[in-house]
Amino acid sequence: MAEYLIQTMGLPGWLTWSLLAVLSAVLILNLMAGGALVFIWAERKVSARIQDRLGPTRTGGRFGWLQSLADGIKLLAKEDLMPERADKMLFRVAPYVSFCASFAAFIGLPFAFDMVALRLNVGVFYVVAVLGLEVFGVILAGYASASKWSLFGAMREAAQVVSYEVPLGMCIVVPVMLAGTMDLVTIAEKQSGWFTNWYLFHDPFTFVVFWVYTTCAVASVNRAPFDLAEAESELVAGFHTEYSGLRWSFFYMAEYSSMFLVSGLAAILFLGGWNGPVPIASLLGLSEGSGESTGAFVRLLGLANFLGKATLGVLFMMWIRWTLPRLRIDQVMTTCLKYCTPIAAVMFAGAMTWLWVFPGGC
Amino acid sequence: MSSSVASLLPVLAAAEGGLNWQGFLFLLFAVLACSLAVAVVVADNVVRMSFYLVLSLGSTAGLFFLAGAEFVGAMQLMIYVGGTLVLLVFGVMLTAQEPFVAIKTPVRDKLLAGLVGGALLAVLLQAAVSGPAWSGSTAEGGNAVASSSGQPSATPLGMALLGVRVDGDVASGEQSPADGQVRSGYLLPFEIVSVHLLVVLVGAAYLARSKRRKSSGGQGGGASTGGMR
Amino acid sequence: MSQVIDDDPRIIEFDVRTDEMLVNMGPQHPSTHGVLRLVLRTDGEVVSEVEPHIGYLHRCAEKIGENISARQFIPYTDRMDYLAGMNMNLGWSLAVEKLMRLQVTEKARHLRVLIAELGRIASHLVGMGAYGLDLGTFSPFLYAFREREKILNLFEEACGARLTYSYITVGGLTADLPPGWLGRCEAFLNEFEPIIREYHALLTTNAIFVKRTGGIGVLSPEMAINYGCSGPVLRGSGVDQDMRRDGEPIYTAMYDGYAFEVAVMKDGTYPRDRAYPAVPADAVLGDCWHRFFVRMLEVVQSMELIRQAIDRYSACTGSLGEPVKIAEKIPAGDVYLETECPKGQMGFYLIGNGTPKPWRVRARSSSFSNLSVLPELCHGCLIADVPAIVGSLDIVMGEIDR
Repeated sequence: MAEYLIQTMGLPGWLTWSLLAVLSAVLILNLMAGGALVFIWAERKVSARIQDRLGPTRTGGRFGWLQSLADGIKLLAKEDLMPERADKMLFRVAPYVSFCASFAAFIGLPFAFDMVALRLNVGVFYVVAVLGLEVFGVILAGYASASKWSLFGAMREAAQVVSYEVPLGMCIVVPVMLAGTMDLVTIAEKQSGWFTNWYLFHDPFTFVVFWVYTTCAVASVNRAPFDLAEAESELVAGFHTEYSGLRWSFFYMAEYSSMFLVSGLAAILFLGGWNGPVPIASLLGLSEGSGESTGAFVRLLGLANFLGKATLGVLFMMWIRWTLPRLRIDQVMTTCLKYCTPIAAVMFAGAMTWLWVFPGGC
Repeated sequence: MSSSVASLLPVLAAAEGGLNWQGFLFLLFAVLACSLAVAVVVADNVVRMSFYLVLSLGSTAGLFFLAGAEFVGAMQLMIYVGGTLVLLVFGVMLTAQEPFVAIKTPVRDKLLAGLVGGALLAVLLQAAVSGPAWSGSTAEGGNAVASSSGQPSATPLGMALLGVRVDGDVASGEQSPADGQVRSGYLLPFEIVSVHLLVVLVGAAYLARSKRRKSSGGQGGGASTGGMR
Repeated sequence: MSQVIDDDPRIIEFDVRTDEMLVNMGPQHPSTHGVLRLVLRTDGEVVSEVEPHIGYLHRCAEKIGENISARQFIPYTDRMDYLAGMNMNLGWSLAVEKLMRLQVTEKARHLRVLIAELGRIASHLVGMGAYGLDLGTFSPFLYAFREREKILNLFEEACGARLTYSYITVGGLTADLPPGWLGRCEAFLNEFEPIIREYHALLTTNAIFVKRTGGIGVLSPEMAINYGCSGPVLRGSGVDQDMRRDGEPIYTAMYDGYAFEVAVMKDGTYPRDRAYPAVPADAVLGDCWHRFFVRMLEVVQSMELIRQAIDRYSACTGSLGEPVKIAEKIPAGDVYLETECPKGQMGFYLIGNGTPKPWRVRARSSSFSNLSVLPELCHGCLIADVPAIVGSLDIVMGEIDR
């Protein structure tokens, strides 16, 4: 595309690259905002169905499609309150820190073959590192709010980060080890073919690792039963107690896009990325490189696969949220450090041994 | 969407003269990193300090990404920014009492710090300026690195951190095994940095430990309720 | 401050500095069940002291009772424990009847049992659902309310109100049941029975729920008695007392001939004629889990009582009897009667002086006594345990503040 613009349109290089960068950014931003809208609507509907309700039914037609949009407008119109004793600057900045971290992580996440804003050879590492920054916004918000409940939320978040990051990292290392690379695109490519090629089914150890990853991923995006930082029945609303209106909605958007992100990461690391359970494209004899339109078709198919898997992951988290009670902070730390970490470590060793015993797979 | 900033480098390097894309971003990140570093020193609130520190370190990570050193960039984010996060928590936790939240430095300390910091800066500047000219090699070398078909690998760096240099020193043009010496790698500096961090941690705990009365064991309230910690 | 300490020769350096924090939980906090204000003294997340502040919902109900006739006071009892209005009506009615030496008809007696036990189920459903909410799970709350709605529908058919019934009244009930009501009630019981298993799956036996409630807020039987706890809170500690069996004759006579077993742990087991979930290993007698479990058992117990009451009521011939006149004079003398409300033993005390208006009215609130153990239970727990403990006491502020 860049070459096309430069050579055919005669645009100067810097303009081309700026345009492309802006284009990528806009696409990701839209994905985040649009995704958040869809997922918030889905959360309402899913929770309603789980709880024997209907959820939104009127806003924008039969299924309440526009409920999230209406919510957004309401949030825009809301009074923007700030506690008098808040650290004004940090209070304003915190939501954007969370949001930007979530946004920046999307840069390294491939949506389909070649559909990645920036293909990094350390993609996994980058995504995890940047995602960790989201916590920073939460802690800043908790501190800057000058509210004790917020501070409790921030401190819990900090304690939680320290506990889930270790097992999460260990789980992520397993597929990286199997693929021999940290490049997300390559990791996904290596799982092409039938669903048995997915790392989830690579060996019994990776299967367990996937579930440990799921646990830690839920903890990392602050969703129930690990929503300690907000814990509405204990800490009122935790770190965002004092936030209202648009600033609050930034936290909300960051939460939903992080959910999508960790689900997408799970899809790439364990569930074959954009490779469907059945390799339709290759059965039809198509590939990304085969011609202009078929290549585009294959890519779109991959995109649909990926989005489908990531959405399933998000829905799974919703299901969990509306089913389980919340853990206590010490129990979260116990779960992550005393159970998940040793399990992940043993499974890591197991997967390594498996690789050594069956070098070519089994 | 086949765009990738990594493949963008040669194109931009080819652009002659003026402030190109890379230069602009470099300046942006560099100015951000430096000014935020100054802000860390100037700020008198612990949390704000750490916030500026995170931004400054983040800008440094941006510089690394700009240079195509993605591994180091991500490492920077993971370790330093993540580490600062812990620092922040400890900062709030350990200095939550009124006299510590806002740190007022006496002039004497400021002078001392300025002296030490200035000296360090001078050494670093000297080292930076007197280093072998990088510009000479960028014309070919930079392009070669950026556009090389093989995937850049972090293996040599990792090995070097473990104390084994598998690569030659590009800048000085030496061939490592040729002079019969095995290079020591980065193990020593790495260890020094680790010890340094440990010292900082111990120092922080020393500064923040509380002082309580010696007598009457019962009145040390909260001592018995430490089940969670 | 540090300067002063530095100069003091008697001090030593000790540990990492921690601060105590005073935190206000309520009166607008989402999980204090109304307008309860708790002042927590915490060290980090560890709570060292809890002090409940009450009175935000005080409406002078007792004083009002001295200015209206005994029957006119019935609607005010509705608004005390607004989650179990029927049982509150019953308590006051029985107290007044005791003073007036009234005897309701047999039909009214069975209908009262039926209605009071339905009210108990409705109240326990709210307690159970709200407890799930306190522990961070939203869905059981709505499942519980779904069933409660059905009970409220039945109540609405019977008396026209869904929350403040004033149905049971001095001398009987305001109206007889509409035709077909008993069938609908039986249908409700039949569809409700299997649903209890779902509650057990979602809460009682859920691993996280057990971890959150087992061994938390352990109330010893002695302490429970000393603080005057009653109801499920008392029975959750293993004290075998139920006013329906151990109360005054005028109240126990109501349950004459009814077979029920008090839901209390005896010799390490609960009455186990039904397939209850086993007591988990983490649970200690007197903890939040047991209080919750006793409520769940009482729901089943009430269902059986309702079934018996339906049979007896339909076997009754004759009329329901007329309630007393609104301006009926009450004799001189004083009377105190405790009944077993869903939340515990609800006592009414009144002194009559021969006029329609009582000379004194007092209410002994079970929630008030149950709440008073909170500071003892919360000593040294975590912040997250405070809602868990408050929820397990199942208090209603309308009754505490009156």
